[in-house]
Amino acid sequence: MTSTQATANHEDTQFDTHEGVVHLLRGGTGQPVLYLHGIGAPPGYWNAVHEGLSRSFDVIAPDHPGFGFTDVMDDLDRIDDVVYHYLDLLDRLGLQQDVHLVGVSFGGWLAAELAVHSPDRFASLVLAAPVGIRIPGHLPTDFFLMTAKQQGQALFHDPAKIPQVDPADAVTAFQTYKNLTGVARFGWVPFLSDPKLERRLYRVKARTLVIEAEHDAVVPREITERYAASITNAQRKTLSGTGHALDAEVPEAFSKAVTEFLSSGEEASKQ
Amino acid sequence: MKFVFFHLMPYPYLPDDFDEKYTSMSLTYPNRHFDPEKGYELYHRYLDQLEWAEELGFDGIAVNEHHQTSYGIMPSPNIMAATLARRTSRAQIMVLGNAIPIRDNPIRVAEEIAMLDHLTSGRLACGFVRGIGWEYFAQSINPTRSAERFFEAHDLILKSWTETEPFEWVTRNYEYRYVNIWPRPLQKPYPPIYMAGSGTPDTMRWAAKHHHVYMSVIAPTQSIKGWFNGYRKAAREEFGWEAGPDRFGWVTPTYVGETDKKAVEEARGPIEWYFHKSLKQPPGAGNPPGYVPLGSMKAALEKGTRRIPTDSMPIEDLIKGGYILVGSAETVAERIMELGEDLGFGTLGVNLAVGSIAESQAKENIEAFAKEVMPKVRKEMNDAPPETSL
Repeated sequence: MTSTQATANHEDTQFDTHEGVVHLLRGGTGQPVLYLHGIGAPPGYWNAVHEGLSRSFDVIAPDHPGFGFTDVMDDLDRIDDVVYHYLDLLDRLGLQQDVHLVGVSFGGWLAAELAVHSPDRFASLVLAAPVGIRIPGHLPTDFFLMTAKQQGQALFHDPAKIPQVDPADAVTAFQTYKNLTGVARFGWVPFLSDPKLERRLYRVKARTLVIEAEHDAVVPREITERYAASITNAQRKTLSGTGHALDAEVPEAFSKAVTEFLSSGEEASKQ
Repeated sequence: MKFVFFHLMPYPYLPDDFDEKYTSMSLTYPNRHFDPEKGYELYHRYLDQLEWAEELGFDGIAVNEHHQTSYGIMPSPNIMAATLARRTSRAQIMVLGNAIPIRDNPIRVAEEIAMLDHLTSGRLACGFVRGIGWEYFAQSINPTRSAERFFEAHDLILKSWTETEPFEWVTRNYEYRYVNIWPRPLQKPYPPIYMAGSGTPDTMRWAAKHHHVYMSVIAPTQSIKGWFNGYRKAAREEFGWEAGPDRFGWVTPTYVGETDKKAVEEARGPIEWYFHKSLKQPPGAGNPPGYVPLGSMKAALEKGTRRIPTDSMPIEDLIKGGYILVGSAETVAERIMELGEDLGFGTLGVNLAVGSIAESQAKENIEAFAKEVMPKVRKEMNDAPPETSL
């Protein structure tokens, strides 16, 4: 079963798969961008980054299994399960090649795994404050061992940007718990990483941009450095004035940086 | 009423600046604050108390499992039960319990419990618990699998005790090509099973299905009443049996003084240490993601049920809320009979060496409970005392 609601600028779709119901947002025209979320900007909602990217691209933004409004898919408990889940989604949407892949934080890890698995499928790869590489002594901050208040402080550089949540809002409280549970399901141990990923990154063929948040209190700089060093010709860029949740804290600057990188690649391939 | 002397074995010596410097005594509270000389003294003091409790006529003596904390220094409850096995001869030795989801190898738990059953001459009771939030950090076990691993490890352990041919057990959590444990337990078919619960409907239903004894954790009387009723209802309506008082246990910090007033004043320090300091989890660790299944969390959020915080509740309110038993022997005995009747439990676990209590004070408390409270309750309820008690 598929149900779709259209608004002015995007479609909001839920469809059945053999694994459960998937929730997907899609908007804009142009080359397809598969946008893989983190939990800084809450998954499941069309946000300013989607909006920015949709001015130039066909933005496809699903909620990961067990996040947002996508079902928990009980058999999916390792990152490679999610890789196959997204290969299925790309097949379903008929996107075999030239897909731009953009991932934030947890979604960055997932994007890197996809680009390692199917290097010929993706034209570009943007890893924004990604986790996924395991470096002893440089694990990401233990986001699970924090109060909600501490999590807000860890995600945002500017305290004024931390979303204020009404404690009586049961829907938001449940979504937050569900999203954290989603991250824990795939990332409790090994901690937000796949110990095999780093040595496999040589397989990536896509043009790659690694974006760092200037004041990232979650992902150590060593991890983004290793990504940039391990992927052939990867570029690096630092977004200033933001904490780890760059999609929520500086959405305009973030979508502008991504748009510029993806567009410059399209220009280059036309010449 | 079955009386159980319940021990947590806290390490009570906190530095003077503890409250300013630390949010919790678990997980990340540095172990340089464990003084091995004092720890050594504590282990032997606490084991002496457990052995003495048998002499004083308790029906059971109970130990349990906690990790990386001064809340309780028993990472291995089975080792504690083993030390008690051959130095006691009558009381039930109760491991309440092994935290099976946070163990990598449930077969090892099955083997150790089976061994203990022989060492105790069949006096063993076997509890299974989930483990507390911070322990999922301490043992690197994914909390999103906690409930699933609990139920599965339980099934595997019980099967390993009852199958008499080698069998295979292959799931996503465990893979055993050969399960064939030696020794098999002495009790038939295996030691009585206890489990601790905090009211999750699934867990109560499941306990009722298996006829396991359901032990409450620290909670207000009204909540516990609801949980026990849930078990009884599930037993009656879904599984077709009547759960009597022997299926329910209530565990609580307990203090007996000369008068009610004196009891409150004497217990204030140790009890408030227990509630205000030792029960505090590190920030965020109390409920790691997935530890409460999503469905239960959703229901709880929609109902707006919130646990009342006890971390700054004065002893008077803890008494009123029914969290603890404190008073003269008369008061405590009456309260036990009243609650036993109201909640319908037949096992009472009393934490008498509670919190930061001094050695001499603990001794008086244990003795007062055994010599003044237990006989009163037994007499009123027409319970025969254990044969070898004083």
